[in-house]
Parts: sequence; structure tokens; C-alpha cells
Amino acid sequence: MAVIPCPLVLKISGAKIVPQSNYHSGNSVKIKLLPNTETPIAIRKTPPIHGRANTPRPLQPIRFLHMAAQNVDSTDDRISRISSSIRVIPDFPKPGIMFQDITTLLLDPKAFKDTIDLFVERYKDQNINVVAGIEARGFIFGPPIALAIGAKFVPMRKPKKLPGEVISEEYSLEYGTDIMEMHVGAVQAGERALVVDDLIATGGTLSAAIRLLERVGVDVVECACVIELPELKGRNRLGDKPLFVLVT
Amino acid sequence: MSACKEDDPRIDGIQSRIRVVPNFPKPGIMFQDITTLLLDPKAFKDTIDLFVERYKSKNITIVAGIEARGFIFGPPIALAIGAKFVPLRKPKKLPGKVFREEYDLEYGSDCLEMHVGAVESGECALVVDDLIATGGTLCAAMNLLERAGAEVVECACVIEIPDLKGRDRLKGKPLFVLVESQ
Repeated sequence: MAVIPCPLVLKISGAKIVPQSNYHSGNSVKIKLLPNTETPIAIRKTPPIHGRANTPRPLQPIRFLHMAAQNVDSTDDRISRISSSIRVIPDFPKPGIMFQDITTLLLDPKAFKDTIDLFVERYKDQNINVVAGIEARGFIFGPPIALAIGAKFVPMRKPKKLPGEVISEEYSLEYGTDIMEMHVGAVQAGERALVVDDLIATGGTLSAAIRLLERVGVDVVECACVIELPELKGRNRLGDKPLFVLVT
Repeated sequence: MSACKEDDPRIDGIQSRIRVVPNFPKPGIMFQDITTLLLDPKAFKDTIDLFVERYKSKNITIVAGIEARGFIFGPPIALAIGAKFVPLRKPKKLPGKVFREEYDLEYGSDCLEMHVGAVESGECALVVDDLIATGGTLCAAMNLLERAGAEVVECACVIEIPDLKGRDRLKGKPLFVLVESQ
């Protein structure tokens, strides 16, 4: 199959499209004029990868999400609203920590909906079977994503909360350790999973969730958080698992 | 006043997905485990749909969910009806200024907190949890909302344990459940 080179950079009305270099076959970018608008919008079309028809195509960083419908705000606009709806509380839970409070995002129905939509747009064609959400704020974002993409929701909990048989994973805190649990039988080997939490800091909690899922043979496709604190380098604790976030 | 959707064909599927775990968290308690419901996307969706159908035209602007299993059912309902989601949490979890409501347990007491400013006076609120047992937690939740000036329209739970008479502790407010359990 001929590889069609992509134009290097396309700037259209503030939208920036950058070629994805790790595609295995050619991709093309078509410019299409939508009806009733003079603004051309670039639409990326990816041909099926030869011999891998049933494999979801590689996930792209957020800026490559194309605008699927005219009545959906641009990704940038949605992120901007989400970001500004998050409240920062200094010195919580202890002095020196700038706490990222997502409860104010939840008070803005459009921002909350946009948050979920951005994740759903990314994952809905990725054959995700399981959304694992980390107690407790992962329980707020995980279920709406699971419902929208038709996946199971699996709560990852503090010790002694889940009734019935569980598997446990210990993980480090700044001082001491904690334990995360998952129900035996909630997931099956070979299933594809997403791990969701509101925020990634050091990555300790997320990496414990990944380990729990991998211990039973699940393929963790990606970790998804609303917020990342990049200076804490949590991304590096996720092994080979990619991380997708909306706000840093 | 009470309501239960016994006649809807989706209820059977929902009820059959709830797992009962004996002697948890302590001997003699038959624990109603909703995690198995969450493993069935259709049953989970039906659960949310049943609540959304009931509340979407009722001008509810707040869905308050009780930590932690109320966080699983509340947000999808809030998103579908365009309401705010307000988490009601155990002490010291919410970072900002809070209202705090103490309530009795079988032995001792516990507290529930809500952010100041989450709710405006006059708003109409729904309180959501996975299950109502004695009604103590739901009553504390209602008190928090009312202290902030909201009107609690109804409490909504997936499961009720009628023998524990929780619905009598809801200060006269109605309770809507999908499934009753012995």
C-alpha cells in the first residue's frame, strides 16, 4: 500500500494538525468545507492497517481528536472551560500542597459533560471491555465513561470495602503504605481495560491498579485522568502504559 | 409515600444482577452487593435510565450522591438530566469550607460533609445512594441540603431493605427505589 505523506503542519482557524509519525501505513488529510460555514475543518482519515482489521487503531494524543459534529465545541474550548472550572485549594490536606478540587467542575453541568465526552470520544472505538475506577473520585468519572462506551465498571477500593473474595495490592505512600482491592471474577484474562481517576500525582495509586488488573491477565490499554501534576512524574511510574489527561 | 418500579420489565434483570454476600461486614448481615450489577452494562444502563426517566422533567438542579457508592449512580443521573453533582463525603475529604452533619450509627456516630457554596438557596435536589437501610445516612444528607437552603424533592436508591424502615426516617420526604430486598 502506498504511503501518502502528510503535510507537515496545517493551520486552520486556530486548529493545528500535526502528522502522526507512528502510523504503520499512510494517512491522508482531507480538507472539507462543512455546509453553512466558510471555515474549512481538516478531517483525518486513516485507512485500515493491513492484516490488523480487528485491532483498534493506535490512540492519538488529544489534539488529534477531530471535530465530529457541528454542535460540539472544539476540543480547545472544552478543555479551557474544564480547566477554569477546577478550583485550587492551598495547603490541603497539609501545608504546601495546592489541592486540585474537581468538585467545582461537577457543579458545571456542561464542563462535566464535556469532560466525559472527551474521554468517550477517545475510547469508544477502542474495544474497551472494562473501565476500572479508583475510589473515590474515580467513581465519579469512570461510570459515565463505562456507560457511554458499553464497558463494565469495576471499582478499585480501599481495604475491607468490597464484600466477597478480593485480590489485594500494596502500594507506597509518602509515609507508609496502603492497600487497593479488586473483586475476584470482576475481570477476565484478555479483556481490555482503562484505569480512571480524577488526578495523577506520584502515580502510586494508578500503578497499583495496573498491577491488580495485570495479575489477572487483563490488558491495560491506557490510564485516563482529568488532571496531571507533571512535576511529580507519575507518568514514569506507569511502566509501559500510556497516560491520557485533559489538564496539566 | 413510596414508589417502586415492580412493573417495569427491566427490574428483573437489575435485581438478578445484585449479589447477596452473607455475613458481611459482620455476622448476620446479608450484604447487597451492587458491584455485580456494574459488570452488566445493560443492567447498569437500565438502572440509570429508570431514574432519569423519573426525574428528567422535574426541574432538579442538584443530584447529591453519598460517598462512595452514591458516586457511582449519582453522576450518570446528573449528567443525563443536566443537574449539578454534589458529593456528600466522610469527614476531612472535601478540601474547602464545609457543612458538617453528625448522625447516629448502631454503635457510635459518623459525619457527612458538603461543600459550602455547592448548593444555592431554593434549588431542587435529589439524594442518591445505592441502598437505604436504617435511613440514617440519607437523613443526614437531607439535613445538609436543607441547611444550605435546598429543597429535597426525593431520595433515590437502587435497593431498599424495608424491614429496617429507613423510609420513616426521611422527614416525610418520598423515597423511590428499584428493588426491595429481604
